[in-house]
Amino acid sequence: MTVFIAIVLAGLGTYAMRALFLVALSNKTFPPLALRLLGYVAPAVMGALVVSMLIDSTGHLSLGAPELAGLGCAAFVAARTRNHIYALVVAMAVFWSLRWIM
Amino acid sequence: MASSKGKSPVWRGMKGSIPLFIPAIPFAFVFGVVVAESGIPGLLGWSSAPIIFGGAAQITLLTLLGEGASVAAAVTAALIVGARHLLYSVTMAPRFQSQPRWFRWVGAYMLIDQVFALVSIEELDDPDEFRHFYLSAGLTFWSLWMSFTALGIAIGPVIPEGWQLAFAAPVLFISILAVSVDRWQKAAVALVAMIAMAALADLPNRLGILVAAVLAMFVGILLERFRR
Repeated sequence: MTVFIAIVLAGLGTYAMRALFLVALSNKTFPPLALRLLGYVAPAVMGALVVSMLIDSTGHLSLGAPELAGLGCAAFVAARTRNHIYALVVAMAVFWSLRWIM
Repeated sequence: MASSKGKSPVWRGMKGSIPLFIPAIPFAFVFGVVVAESGIPGLLGWSSAPIIFGGAAQITLLTLLGEGASVAAAVTAALIVGARHLLYSVTMAPRFQSQPRWFRWVGAYMLIDQVFALVSIEELDDPDEFRHFYLSAGLTFWSLWMSFTALGIAIGPVIPEGWQLAFAAPVLFISILAVSVDRWQKAAVALVAMIAMAALADLPNRLGILVAAVLAMFVGILLERFRR
């Protein structure tokens, strides 16, 4: 039940963000400085989330050489090719190889 | 695109959506693995696809719930991940001013990354043409996302845990991050957030995400001084 409540809350919140300017404030805009600061929200949260996804439920962080190399390769390939599938394939291959060697 | 001129906007919307859906396929499968590992029943996990209709937010929410985060922490993180939708909403608003009321409500539900990208590059001057194209692209993505997330949920539990496929989730997030970084300040902000999160790994309920993100955003504001 708590999971369903969380899904519904996240759904309502996501819908509200999409609808805000289409439905309610279609003739309002953000000041340029606010838009520029809003641009930092995504990298800050995504950076924190990447690392948080490597933490297990006991608070232990698994960030060894395979994880670091995999994430580094993903970032490099994605920045170069702008293709998430290439990034995923290369990163998983590097991650699996290093885990197999070590 | 001169070649597509004269073709019906419904057809153009469908045709334009399919290639853009391909990059979303790994998200659907990673989502399936995340739901399987979280121990949340498949149908319940899948219900986030029609309710939220946003891959990154769905993966964030279910990963965090599976790791034992509180509802408040998981929902907050999912909403912050989805905060870019506010930017889409602002950018798209002028083109909705001449649209009927019902379409503003329905169109908001379909304002996903790919629909935003498609509508931004297509030439759609007439409001009716715009609406037909938007609805057609949105419904195509919606049907594909519902089907592929269901497929991901079905396949997720079958994948052996030894493959460590859950690692694909941070990999996809760092590749979104790498694509979205368009100036060095953003890369620095992301790096600060990563280091802070690693230092705050012990904080309960994934509180570290909020603390690390807020800290990194302050660093971003400070770095704004180095902009010309």
